[in-house]
Amino acid sequence: LSHSSGTGPLAQWVLVELQGEVEPRQSGDLAGSLLGDLHYTCEGVPVLIVGHHILYGKVVQLEKPFAVLVKQGGAPQPSPVGPHSHYTVTALIKTKLLFKTRPKPIITHVPKKV
Amino acid sequence: KLNPAELLPAAQCLSFGPRARGECCLLQLEPGLCAELEAGRSLVIRGEKDEHAVLCSKDKTYDMKIADTSNMLLFVPGCRTPEELNADPGSCDIIHSQIAGFSKNYWELRRCRPKLKKLRKLLMEDPYEGPDSQKDQTSTFSKYTTEDLLSLIQASEEEILHQLQVIDACKIEGYWRILDFDYEMKLLNHVTQLIDSESWPLSKVPLCACLEELGSLEPREMIEHILLSYGRKYVDDAGEVFFEMREDKICRAIAQMLLQNAVKFNLSEFEEVWQQSVPEGMTTRLDQLQGLALVDKSSRPETIFLLKVEDLPEDNQERFNSLFGIRQKWTEVDITPYIQDLCAEKQTVGALLTKYARSSMLNGVKVYNSRRPIS
Repeated sequence: LSHSSGTGPLAQWVLVELQGEVEPRQSGDLAGSLLGDLHYTCEGVPVLIVGHHILYGKVVQLEKPFAVLVKQGGAPQPSPVGPHSHYTVTALIKTKLLFKTRPKPIITHVPKKV
Repeated sequence: KLNPAELLPAAQCLSFGPRARGECCLLQLEPGLCAELEAGRSLVIRGEKDEHAVLCSKDKTYDMKIADTSNMLLFVPGCRTPEELNADPGSCDIIHSQIAGFSKNYWELRRCRPKLKKLRKLLMEDPYEGPDSQKDQTSTFSKYTTEDLLSLIQASEEEILHQLQVIDACKIEGYWRILDFDYEMKLLNHVTQLIDSESWPLSKVPLCACLEELGSLEPREMIEHILLSYGRKYVDDAGEVFFEMREDKICRAIAQMLLQNAVKFNLSEFEEVWQQSVPEGMTTRLDQLQGLALVDKSSRPETIFLLKVEDLPEDNQERFNSLFGIRQKWTEVDITPYIQDLCAEKQTVGALLTKYARSSMLNGVKVYNSRRPIS
């Protein structure tokens, strides 16, 4: 695993952790599709709006950071004496946004009691 | 209900990037590894098809295991944290961020013992028998350079280089070699004979004189290698190189030479022959043979036989199975040399025994036996 650009600091990414699965609304794969909007309250609480749901989360500094590995080359298996499939460390992740609360549906209109 | 007034002005629009899945994965870093990566150093994943992958830093080895979470982990480059947004008041209202990848699992690391048994196995494929040997002139297929070893052994570079030193390997024509034991004893014998005939003190054996006297019999590199293996090098005030010969190691090697000729020996006969075989001025002691030979105190007369720890399995459970197959009940004193190398960082022999053995009392002495019936 080597540093991708070789020089300069490693990129810092952020992990977003969601409960459950993420599925595209329409059929087809996820590439290109929108997940949602990320906001923060003035107190720094992350709020994610996905479709009709609001997810509240918290910012967590990871005790054990992650490295993001991207596989290079197409070789399926390394040969015994020879180059191994090469993974590049593309980024480090030291922070995550953890969304654990159940999604709250966004109610746009509260009907008045009759 | 969400009150827009409570939110920071900037909003980040997260969408899935084009190459969202596939070759991206997450590796959870143990302390120190993050700093190593940031310092520009590399980590390597090593392992052949039939081996579990390990991750190696410059000097440590870690087992890799997949950890599943029930959650979705999305990795977002350039995603801003509240601190970053607050620190940058000019940040625009809508930021488009792409999710680079996602996963439901990640690689976990656990520090482990480097898997070094294979190193000896590879080098034993073609031990060096000396310059007169016919073998060397022919093939190079089972000879290994440092790079070869780095790609084949599941251990960090430092651990590999250290082990090469421990097993007295030497580099001959760019390849790491282990000496054939008989050739090694031949070299040692040249040196001990010379020490005897010159009446040098065992603690002050001169390098130059050895090379001069023995250079016609063996390659100079081999003479120096044997002195380095069996002695401690030092330089005196005049700048001359000397060796302090290592009594324990020499006695141990000579014991191996004697013991490998039969299945087992009468203990007292062996001890006599052994003392007579070592250089003048050296004293043999049974504790020099830890991890090399085992004494059977239950037989009449007492016997001794060769049992080399490096011939035993590397895996903990397999090692214990093998030891209990050789002898049903062990005292802690007897078994320790044969399990010492299994101890992980900060693990004790006692902890290993608690985990892999069952203790009982035999004639007032605590002994250990297998936890399971041996087939």
